[in-house]
Amino acid sequence: MKRRTLQYSRFLALLLVFALMVGVVSAQGDRKVLVDAGNAVGASDVPTLDPSLATDTSSIQVLIETNPGLTRINEVTLETEPSMATWTVSDDGLVYTFSIMPEVPWVKYNAETDAVEQVLDENGNVRYVTAEDFAYGIRRSIGGQLGSYYGGIMASWVVNGDAVYAGELPVEELGVEVLDTYTLQITASKPAAFLSTIFGMWQAYAQPAWVIEEYGDFWYEPESFQGYGPFTLKEWIHGESITIIKNPFWPGTENIPVPALDEVKMMVLEASAALANFEAGAADVSIVPLSDIDRIQADPVLSEAYYVGPGSCTYIYGINTAKPPLDDARVRQALSMSINRQALIDNVTKGGQQPAFFFARPSLAAAPHQEDYPEYVLGEDVEVARELLQSYLDERGITLDQMEPITLAHNESEGHARIAQAIQQMWTEALGITVEIQTQEWAVYLETIKSDDAPQVFRYGWCLDYPDAHNFLFDVFDSQVRELGINWNNEDAAEFDSLVEQAMVEPDMQTRTDLYAQAENLLTNKDAAIIPIYYYTSLNLTQPWVQRTHSQFGQEYFEKWDIDLSARP
Amino acid sequence: MGAFIVRRMLQMLLVLFVISLFTFVVMRAVPGGPFSSEKSLPPRTLAQLEAKYNLDEPLVMQYIHYIGDIAIPHITENRLENSVLNDYLINIYIPVVDRTFRWMNFGPSYKSVSQTVNSIIKDTLPVSATLGIGALLVALVIGVPAGIIAALNRNSRWDYIAMGVSIVGVSIPVIVLGPVLRYVFGVQLKWLPPTGWGGIEHIIMPAFALGFAESARLARLTRASLLQVLNEDYIRTARAKGLAERVVVGLHALKNAMLPVVTTIGPLFAFLITGSFVAELVFGIPGLGKFFVTSITNRDYPVIMGTTLLLGFLVIVANLIVDVVYVWLDPRIKYD
Repeated sequence: MKRRTLQYSRFLALLLVFALMVGVVSAQGDRKVLVDAGNAVGASDVPTLDPSLATDTSSIQVLIETNPGLTRINEVTLETEPSMATWTVSDDGLVYTFSIMPEVPWVKYNAETDAVEQVLDENGNVRYVTAEDFAYGIRRSIGGQLGSYYGGIMASWVVNGDAVYAGELPVEELGVEVLDTYTLQITASKPAAFLSTIFGMWQAYAQPAWVIEEYGDFWYEPESFQGYGPFTLKEWIHGESITIIKNPFWPGTENIPVPALDEVKMMVLEASAALANFEAGAADVSIVPLSDIDRIQADPVLSEAYYVGPGSCTYIYGINTAKPPLDDARVRQALSMSINRQALIDNVTKGGQQPAFFFARPSLAAAPHQEDYPEYVLGEDVEVARELLQSYLDERGITLDQMEPITLAHNESEGHARIAQAIQQMWTEALGITVEIQTQEWAVYLETIKSDDAPQVFRYGWCLDYPDAHNFLFDVFDSQVRELGINWNNEDAAEFDSLVEQAMVEPDMQTRTDLYAQAENLLTNKDAAIIPIYYYTSLNLTQPWVQRTHSQFGQEYFEKWDIDLSARP
Repeated sequence: MGAFIVRRMLQMLLVLFVISLFTFVVMRAVPGGPFSSEKSLPPRTLAQLEAKYNLDEPLVMQYIHYIGDIAIPHITENRLENSVLNDYLINIYIPVVDRTFRWMNFGPSYKSVSQTVNSIIKDTLPVSATLGIGALLVALVIGVPAGIIAALNRNSRWDYIAMGVSIVGVSIPVIVLGPVLRYVFGVQLKWLPPTGWGGIEHIIMPAFALGFAESARLARLTRASLLQVLNEDYIRTARAKGLAERVVVGLHALKNAMLPVVTTIGPLFAFLITGSFVAELVFGIPGLGKFFVTSITNRDYPVIMGTTLLLGFLVIVANLIVDVVYVWLDPRIKYD
């Protein structure tokens, strides 16, 4: 027994020495392979590459490169621009006719030859992306009974969409028509300013019917995956990485150029593990761990690589307006006005976030900018906050000690906890109130805040699906779809509904913005049913040899990136 | 002995059944569901998903279906529809009837939509097992000799050094040791890749991070156990009959002193090969460990059940092996 242990240890020691000597050198040659650490796909496996089922940013990041939509969002201006198609809209705003770029082939990565190949049909002809492929994708998302979330979103905007989604009408009745090989017509159920964006989202991407029929639930694994965009799927090691490879058959367009990169390897990594790779030179781009921001900013090399840009989410505190003392707008306003947002950002969140007084992010189409509507901004003023609270107490004839206690709830997370503690302290110092902090596990928390019995104050965040103010103000707070337990049901809430519903169909951009500004006024100022806190930023690190664009909405367009191989060590 | 093993295997089935029932009840009693998110699914979308995964049935039926899919063998067509709902662990072609015998379908993952519990475990268990065996080797190679040296040189400088180091080892969790190793050897010295999986160079740091704390525990256990054995009468007898100290310690004392160590190694082995959440996050390893945690936060019911049953199975088997090893270590132990 003892001798065997010794032999083992000698063997292991040899093995260790050998491995240490070998070290690690990754030779890329002169191919441009970009390694992204945790920035593109985050810290857990990409859930799916089925355009009908994708709901999360990492799935969409891959799909946006492999299967571009009819339209797509410019990553810098956030405007909707032609992608696989150009389009015209009928005068009544209902009929969208898309002219699809001809002769873009379906492609597939062949692992044996290590090359991307064109897909051939049963007669040996090249398969081109057609209007039929887009129609198939849309019909599958809406009528496939797959439980497609975004299929459900789109269903509301297409003629007969809701009935087809529910299985009450056959999928042929859907307002999607193939006029010829490269022309697709979608008939909307109601006009809206942002329909060209919705029809360009992933649930409406072209899908390969012949692959899906053969491979079923597993069709988008690398063995069978087919795409047509600037990149296609090369490798997917579940939970470790996903790699896309340049599609040499992509013709290149003004908006979607032929990629300069040969491959993009997106590594699934937790933030501090990603940073370690970046610092070791093993990654070209990395996500930023919040705990390291101070060090990165102080470091001469890392601070050069550090980038802070607009994110895609807003951080707010929702208020249950049915629970005293928050059933009075003055108390809610007092809470909102006594948060020092800039101090919170400088000392707690540290990611260069922007103080928020409106809910809809300013980068969204039709979103009002808070500096353009100062009369609608509640602002910060501790003196006024104290007066508001005092007038409330006087009216009830009670003292501060007799006021009901306030509970502030957030889901378990170190970041949310620190923010809550800072705000708790600000409220205590400014108003003298005591606030109890409550935490819950994520899934439990979601049920809590979506019930009418939600805590008095609760943390919430919302990220864009498509860059229009509608996606924030209507999709979260219109009473038809509202889930948050803010119990906001007074006359102002009814007026808010009518404003955002009017803005939905209003064609003129400035008028829409004005309508949304009035809606923000009711939600965040007059009634203060929510307390906007900050607009998220997106943080990343990029090595100096990478030329890139910085996306403002959560996904990157790698076909616009390049690597200077001569500058890479 | 054979009868003993058979009896224990039957007991194992019963234990696994109880584990499955208990886990099922507890996980379904917790609020929240697999499709909860900031953006709630509209009721019509939720209904489609619940129908797809049979979540619209009464709970009792869901449990019966779940156990049925695992326990009851099916004879089916040779080619099944490519669906995450019918991925069986065991598929045996029966030529006589030209059909396929299929057994043990642990269900789909609700979160990774193209994955099943079987495919997740097939992908990740080999990774975690490789790392776990590496960590166990580190633990044994450092821990047992350190314990022996400490015991034989009791209250000497060597004893203090070995036990001092082991106190440090027990006190430093993987979440601290891992990033330190990664920073020193991966970022600063660049001797090893900071994260990743694939080659022997990827195993060294995580295996050491995981194994070091265990080695410290084993060292303390080995020391204590060996010291106790060295005071036994039969050791005095062995010495009295003039055996060399090497034989006394190596043959008589050590073998008996290993009993408690082996007892610990059994379950330790089961836990190590099923992966470590922290080590996998720190070193970017696509292992099974993170599924034990993420499946719960995601309410990914089949993955929760699958990982729990797998761990239960491995702990029971490891304990069974330990019991068998006892017989070899200590001839006084007999199973009838």
